[in-house]
Amino acid sequence: MADDQDAAAQWMEDIDPRLLDLLRTRVNTFIKWDVVRFFHANPHTADTADNLARYIGRDVRVVEPELRQLTQAGVLEAETLADLRIYTLTADAGTASLIDSFVRACDDRQFRVKAIYHVIRSLRREKGQP
Amino acid sequence: MSVPRVPTGIAGLDEMLAGGFLPGTANLVEGAPGTGKSTLAMQFIEHGITACDEPGIILTFEEFPEHLIRDAANFGWDFAAHQAAGRLCVLQTSPEVTLADVRRTSGRLETLVEQIGARRVVVDSLSHFERLAANPVELRLLGFELINALKRMDLTAVLTRENPALLGETSESDDDLAYVADSYLLLRYVEIESAVHKALLVLKQRGSAHATDIRQYAITAQGLEVRSRFAGTHGIMSGTPVMTHTEAFAAAFLIPGKK
Repeated sequence: MADDQDAAAQWMEDIDPRLLDLLRTRVNTFIKWDVVRFFHANPHTADTADNLARYIGRDVRVVEPELRQLTQAGVLEAETLADLRIYTLTADAGTASLIDSFVRACDDRQFRVKAIYHVIRSLRREKGQP
Repeated sequence: MSVPRVPTGIAGLDEMLAGGFLPGTANLVEGAPGTGKSTLAMQFIEHGITACDEPGIILTFEEFPEHLIRDAANFGWDFAAHQAAGRLCVLQTSPEVTLADVRRTSGRLETLVEQIGARRVVVDSLSHFERLAANPVELRLLGFELINALKRMDLTAVLTRENPALLGETSESDDDLAYVADSYLLLRYVEIESAVHKALLVLKQRGSAHATDIRQYAITAQGLEVRSRFAGTHGIMSGTPVMTHTEAFAAAFLIPGKK
């Protein structure tokens, strides 16, 4: 039984280390995953949290803190224009390439299963659960 | 002296516009859902890039760029390749962000125009500005401001606007941007003998002659195709035209099977 769990955990860790790090430290919630996928598909988008929430079909009260965290993590860039806070995808080529690798990897079901596992683990850790 | 033109690439339409739009103008295309406003606008961009060496920008307030690129591909227009080659940028944003951006110096749009050498722009659609101001006068001023900013960037613009009326007369209000736009194209549905046809009319083109007749058009696999004028009917823009006396007489007495 313990051996099976170990094998499963080992299988879950079998991801490109760069993508594993991305999932553990930056794209560590499902909202952030949605946002990253949206910006990957629409890389020139520049908009407010309200409108971005509308585009991905989520509540702005949930999306806004995630946008702030993605900005702190260097995935997005933010600027204030008049009284509007505008978010865009980072211009950093390395991060853009990493996001591209992540979204492409998501085409593979096995990768998605592993990614979901890591996001759930991150969410549990955030809530202080084992 | 011949004035340079910015052709749309839509043969019949360019002929109606005496060769195309005038450079650096704002051109309003209005129509009901499904009349082909966005298709006309995309065709204008495609023709600019492939036939006139004029890169373009599409500002979309509604449709996701990935969907717009897919729609363009259905007409054989490879917008993904244009974007990759730096000849096109499809920018999804909102009216409030666009206005705030164009008001500042060296804003995002202005920088993008410089970067790709854009000469054409599409704004799809102006109808979304309605959420910024309830006051029609203020709304018209916002539209005027956007148009002037695009002109400042030396862009020839196609601005689409929705008209909720599927058939029949449309109402115009004080906010009407048709007054501030340089040209005004109307796309309409027309019902003739229980079939829906599409009609195109150039209502105005500031500083240039233009055709004043109402033409039939179709959305084909290659984009918009403007055809001949409607013949034998009047009251086209009412949406439910009637036959002229001559046609009615012919249908009743002369043409077999038409009775």
